[in-house]
Amino acid sequence: MAFVVLPAASMIVGVGAGLLGEALRQDDIRRSLWLTMSAALIATAIAFVVGVPLAYLLARRDFVGKRAIEGIIDLPIVFPHTAAGIALLTVYGREGVMGRLLAPFGISFTETVAGIVLAMLFVSLPFLVDTARETFALVDERYEHVARTLGSSPGGAFLRVTFPQAWRGVLSGAVLMWGRGISEFGAVVILAYNPKVISVLTFERFEGFGLRAAQPPAVLIVIVAFVVFLGVRAVLLPRRGRSGKGPA
Amino acid sequence: MIGLRGVEVAAGDFSVGPLDLDVPAGEYAVLLGPSGSGKTLVLEALAGVRRVRAGRLLLDGEDVTQLPAERRKVGLVFQDGLLFPHLTVAQNIAYGLGAAWPGRRRRSPRPEVARLAAETGVADLIDRRPATLSGGERQRVALARALAAGPRVLLLDEPLSAVDADARGSLQDLLRRVSVDEGLTVLHVTHDLGEAFAVGGLFAVLVAGRLQQVGAPHDVLRRPATVEVARFTGARNVFEARPAPGDSRRLALALGGTLRTSDSAPAGMSHAVIRADDITVASLNDLCGGEGDTLLTGRVRRVTHAGATSVVEVDVPPLFQAVVGARELEALGIEPGSTVGLRVPAAAVHVV
Repeated sequence: MAFVVLPAASMIVGVGAGLLGEALRQDDIRRSLWLTMSAALIATAIAFVVGVPLAYLLARRDFVGKRAIEGIIDLPIVFPHTAAGIALLTVYGREGVMGRLLAPFGISFTETVAGIVLAMLFVSLPFLVDTARETFALVDERYEHVARTLGSSPGGAFLRVTFPQAWRGVLSGAVLMWGRGISEFGAVVILAYNPKVISVLTFERFEGFGLRAAQPPAVLIVIVAFVVFLGVRAVLLPRRGRSGKGPA
Repeated sequence: MIGLRGVEVAAGDFSVGPLDLDVPAGEYAVLLGPSGSGKTLVLEALAGVRRVRAGRLLLDGEDVTQLPAERRKVGLVFQDGLLFPHLTVAQNIAYGLGAAWPGRRRRSPRPEVARLAAETGVADLIDRRPATLSGGERQRVALARALAAGPRVLLLDEPLSAVDADARGSLQDLLRRVSVDEGLTVLHVTHDLGEAFAVGGLFAVLVAGRLQQVGAPHDVLRRPATVEVARFTGARNVFEARPAPGDSRRLALALGGTLRTSDSAPAGMSHAVIRADDITVASLNDLCGGEGDTLLTGRVRRVTHAGATSVVEVDVPPLFQAVVGARELEALGIEPGSTVGLRVPAAAVHVV
């Protein structure tokens, strides 16, 4: 416990409320904070749309290449993040295959928000897909069978029966992914040094002005992440008193 | 009406079929067999949640083989009820009403839910969550939910196995009553012989993926079509045998000795089957029998007590098993090592 709590607490105490308030009044920190949270949110939203159906498919179906897909999804976890950034740059950079392909449409991934989102998506996607897949696997498939015989289409059975039982796990995975996204530095800094996400800003201030200057943005993002984490934990806790009149 | 025509279903390396079965409209049929025989696969194929590898599935004469589950109009009840845990009892029952089949008029949920809840005896549980219900209550709600969708066929997968003994009797009554009141064709899957006899009007016995026998419960019990059915239905004495030369009403057992039978043994027969409760155990002095009975003597090898009755194993050879009442056991002084007589009525010897 102390191993985790001590550095965070010391960082927050060390900064002090005054310095934190001052940091919030600085435009570059506010912009960076907003950019970091929104880019991570966009990455999570994209992963939700693509990753949740994929997680469901992996939990429910056996097909050729399933193991390979599972392995590929988990690959970014073992990638050094700067290496992930380099890898992304070679494909999505100006000279990369995808970079050249998308350039005519005005889509660029270097030094843009799109690049930040791409880097966050790449490194944090496994957190959502893996958690969602494990959650779906825990929901007995026969619930869907019953729902189908009661008139629901496969999609209807998923939305009305499976997802309501799995949403906590999926949300938990989404928060993990978002949290991983806002903390990303290595991949982002390679693909998009600018505009600066909070981790890059912190690094830049540390390099340029030392520890005191780097602390406010670092503390801010920790506090934001902590508040979001606590809020979601509160939502995820099973509500008491939902069980009707008590055991029969 | 349920019809299976050369149906084959597979799950991994295990396959069932080809199966041919007809369950007449309004019949309460039991698909009976040991665990792992493939009963649930058949049920899932009928429900439309598992593809058949070959053959055709008919419901009320309609070929539903290619029809998706939501359009087959079958009610499905699993052994653990599988009530949707995030919904109340009322919402569970209303699920089938809300997701009406195409072309079917959507009924106003509330009165219909109340009617079904009353019919299945769960009217006072309507606002409860599934987690707070007992096993029997869950099954009642699951039944109400299945009925809510107005199925033409009810498929029950071991519906009583997770229910305690007290609730089982009333649930059996409910299942029978509902099938009669609603005019439903029912296919009830179980491995429990007692449960099958309590509800079923027609037995279909599935062993190792093959339909071994279809018939009235008494016929399946007294006249098993195969050795597998005989063993599954509790016939303890199954002996390899052939018609004795020159006398088709006498069977020569492979392990030695002969048995008389009331009917002529067919040439292709391979086994003699005698239920343990058809064999009478007597003291040597009292051993007598009518015409056609086989009288044997042997040494008691083991006595297994099972409440009011005991199973006595008597080495003749072969090793016969007979059921003896507690009082009779005491009166005869039967114990391992003692010598006793056995009377095997010819009518009790069935050949397969």
